[in-house]
Amino acid sequence: MGTKVEEAWKKGSAELLVLSLLEDQPRHGYEIGKLIEVRSGGTLHFHVASLYPLLYRLEKRGWIEGRWVEKANQRRRRYYRLTAEGQRVLELQRRKWQEFAGAVGRIAGVQHA
Amino acid sequence: MLLFAKARSFLRNLLFTERVEVDLDQEVRSHLQMLVDENIRAGMGPREAERAGRIELGGAEQVKEQVREERLGSSLHSAMSDCRFGLRQLRKNPGFTLTVVLTLALSVGANTAIFSLVNALLLEGLPYPHPERMGTIYTRIAGSSAASDERHNVNGEQWELLRDNVPALTSSVSSVGTSGVNLKGGSHVEYVHDGRVSTHYFEVFELQPILGRSFSADEDRPGGPRVVILSYNLWRNVFGADPRILGQPVLLRSEPYTVVGVLPQGATTPLNADVYTPLQASREGEGGGTNFSCIIRLRDGVTWEEADAQINRTWLRRTGRYELVDNPGAKVSYHTVPLQKGQTDALRPKVLALMVAAGFILLIACANLAGLTLVRMMRRTPEVATRLALGASGWQIQRQFWIENLLLALVGGAVSVGVGFVALRELFLLLPEHFLPVASVPLDGRVMLFTLVISVLTSVLFAMLPALAALRVDLRSSMANRSVAGVGSLRLRQALIAGEVALTVMLLAGSGLLIRSLIHLETLPPGFNSSGVMVAKASLDDVRYHDPATFRKLLDESTAAMRQIPGVENAAVGSNLPYEFTGNDWITLSDGKEAGHQGGVDWVYVTPGFFDTLEMPLLAGRVFSNADGPDSQHVVVVNQSFARKFYGGTNPVGRYIDQYGLIVGEVADVPLSSGLDPVAPLQTEETMYVPAAQIGGTLLALMHVWVQPNWMVRTAGRTAGLTAEMQRALATADPNLPASGFYTMGDLLARTLTMQRMEVALLGAMAALALLLSAVGVFALVANMVAQRTREIGIRMALGSSIGQVMVEIARSGVAASLFGVVLGLVLSAGALRVMRSVLYGVGVYDITTNLLVVLTLLVITLLATLLPTLRIARIDPARTLREE
Repeated sequence: MGTKVEEAWKKGSAELLVLSLLEDQPRHGYEIGKLIEVRSGGTLHFHVASLYPLLYRLEKRGWIEGRWVEKANQRRRRYYRLTAEGQRVLELQRRKWQEFAGAVGRIAGVQHA
Repeated sequence: MLLFAKARSFLRNLLFTERVEVDLDQEVRSHLQMLVDENIRAGMGPREAERAGRIELGGAEQVKEQVREERLGSSLHSAMSDCRFGLRQLRKNPGFTLTVVLTLALSVGANTAIFSLVNALLLEGLPYPHPERMGTIYTRIAGSSAASDERHNVNGEQWELLRDNVPALTSSVSSVGTSGVNLKGGSHVEYVHDGRVSTHYFEVFELQPILGRSFSADEDRPGGPRVVILSYNLWRNVFGADPRILGQPVLLRSEPYTVVGVLPQGATTPLNADVYTPLQASREGEGGGTNFSCIIRLRDGVTWEEADAQINRTWLRRTGRYELVDNPGAKVSYHTVPLQKGQTDALRPKVLALMVAAGFILLIACANLAGLTLVRMMRRTPEVATRLALGASGWQIQRQFWIENLLLALVGGAVSVGVGFVALRELFLLLPEHFLPVASVPLDGRVMLFTLVISVLTSVLFAMLPALAALRVDLRSSMANRSVAGVGSLRLRQALIAGEVALTVMLLAGSGLLIRSLIHLETLPPGFNSSGVMVAKASLDDVRYHDPATFRKLLDESTAAMRQIPGVENAAVGSNLPYEFTGNDWITLSDGKEAGHQGGVDWVYVTPGFFDTLEMPLLAGRVFSNADGPDSQHVVVVNQSFARKFYGGTNPVGRYIDQYGLIVGEVADVPLSSGLDPVAPLQTEETMYVPAAQIGGTLLALMHVWVQPNWMVRTAGRTAGLTAEMQRALATADPNLPASGFYTMGDLLARTLTMQRMEVALLGAMAALALLLSAVGVFALVANMVAQRTREIGIRMALGSSIGQVMVEIARSGVAASLFGVVLGLVLSAGALRVMRSVLYGVGVYDITTNLLVVLTLLVITLLATLLPTLRIARIDPARTLREE
């Protein structure tokens, strides 16, 4: 399941991932999990048991907002969207991540893709 | 905005729990459905798709559990569900729950009651305005054999100097206690308490009469006008709160006193009197001795140091200081002391000792509870292991136990308040009125807070051990073993038992010593026949009886009337009786080689039948007769101690005493409460008896302010209706003389020994409680051992051990712990109980008998507590335990 170090990296970036995925449009939990897996090319996979708690945590902080939506022919689903505060946090975290990754890269001699 | 979102979420989670649960369930279910759909699209069959979906989800419950942890209010939620679970667990184990709650309730209750006393006496501020500016004066005597630093009463000279030369203070003096007098308002005769006070007394307490005024300086002069200030309750009860009471006369001591003021409702002074009259102190008579109690208030803008300096300057200039007469060559100084300390100093060490004893009980209770909860914890190890396997964190398990213990603590604490309340009420019933310097001992907010804190602290203390034990649970081995018998825990529990027993030994030894001391005091050789005597007291503090002729007539007529009562063999009057606090005087011997010797003696006036009525043995000479009247030679009778002290034990009959006359007889000693030189609550002292008929007018006026004479009758055992007859006999001599009370000699003895009885009752109760708790502790230890080692016992018995052998084997651990505790306790007592030396009479701190009795008691109780659970061993069927392997 990956080394301890990779687990730590995953934990550290989880919020950023979820917030950024909600930037364009509201999504539900299943969708978010699938998107992360697909867009990372299978590298990142969030276990359901850690995804939903994370969503609730972000909701608790007021960064995302969840709502039940009933579409025709579909089961009732809970959609999450980014709040104004969440947008602000996302931009801040993006910047911080860039700085951090850049610094690590410079020291470890890693080039960005 | 953020806060609002958070708050809304929090409330939603708290209040709409069901709704929130349904939502969560639906969300997870919907996720699962989408997984299944995806699998079907990928080509799996419906059943396989479902199964794969569930595996990938990883268990709906786990997901939901994780989310619940995250939710705002989840800690509160899980705490509440822990509470509910805890309550269920406690209900399922009524034996354990009841034992814990009772143990807590009794031990915390005892502490609550004692702390209420401490609170009322030492912590609660005095009920006067600005009490920190009020105080009293202590006399410090240094550099002599009897060094001391304590509160003294003052004499007339000290009072005048204090009043006139110490501008830093508003000073006041009062009579030391109240005197009982007869008040006649209209036709209503009542026995009331009169407090005699100086001019500025009420000013010191910042009390303003609601009607009228306080006493003026003129009224406080010797021979000044007779005025009185009423207490609110008296004004209301006797005079119907008549607003025109001012200026009206009331009869006190058969003399008219004009009412000049009424105190406000709820006004309180240390005297707590019904009426107040001016003290009219001078340097003579009363003022010739230290008979006034002094209370002062510091004026604004002055410091206590300045007041001290002024007091010392003026008092040290006195000639003939009594402090130096008693302690020649000593260095004397005076200093002010805050009033709270001054009022409670005598009681402080006793109350603090009680707190220590109550603390012991708490410790014993904690030890018991720790043992009980430890055992229970161990029994729940399989449950704990299962929960850990299901994914609970160590913290969650611990939290569960902390919450259960907290619940027990809260319930126990609540019950203990009730226990404390009952205990306090009983305590107050033990005490006579005005015994404590406070009016009541309430269970106020501070006490409640104390109770809560103690309960919680106790729960923390005794929950800690098992909680720590919970951390070290090994899953696999604990699920495999049905019995978890750690040797470490046994040693720990034995140590707890040893500690409990040691503390119990100390409490038992302490109360044992007090009991022996009390027995010693109560069984002092009485020196007279105390059974069959009934006593009536009445107040003669009345202007009519300042005249010796009237006084004599009263005594003659009343004793004659009493002798007529059927069943009465003899009757007499005495100013003081055995067991009572006795007045004293300073005498000088007149003749022989002891001429000029001086000394203090106790002093009692008696009618001729006194010694016969009490059946006091006459050792030499004669007793008084009717011939010893005002015009015949003045005579006295002395007791054995007197002869020993002044005449070296030779026959004192025929010797003379200055101003008192000829010694005509010597009688046996009787125990009394000394005002001369108290070394014990009851002691024998040199006493001089004087015929009532030979007392002069001035002495009569003085004496009856302090002393209520006693009418005694001796009957051949009849008691029914006796008191009514005695009252009637008294009334034939003076219809306006109500008896203030009726007593047997036993009552008088009990009254003098009230403090000692209270000490015995309190400490004894606590020692009994400690003994009970220790017994429970030992019982629990051994019972638990039997339960844990049932299999081992079964095997042993199958292999041939007898029941007796097994019982001894099992009981050994309990007995060993107790024995160690007993030895430890004896060692500790030897050191700790030395502080009791000052309150023990007739018994030493290292008393062998007491220690032996204590050891014996504990051994018996321990053996019982050990044997009872081991009896269960007899019911163990070896065959069945082997089958259960």
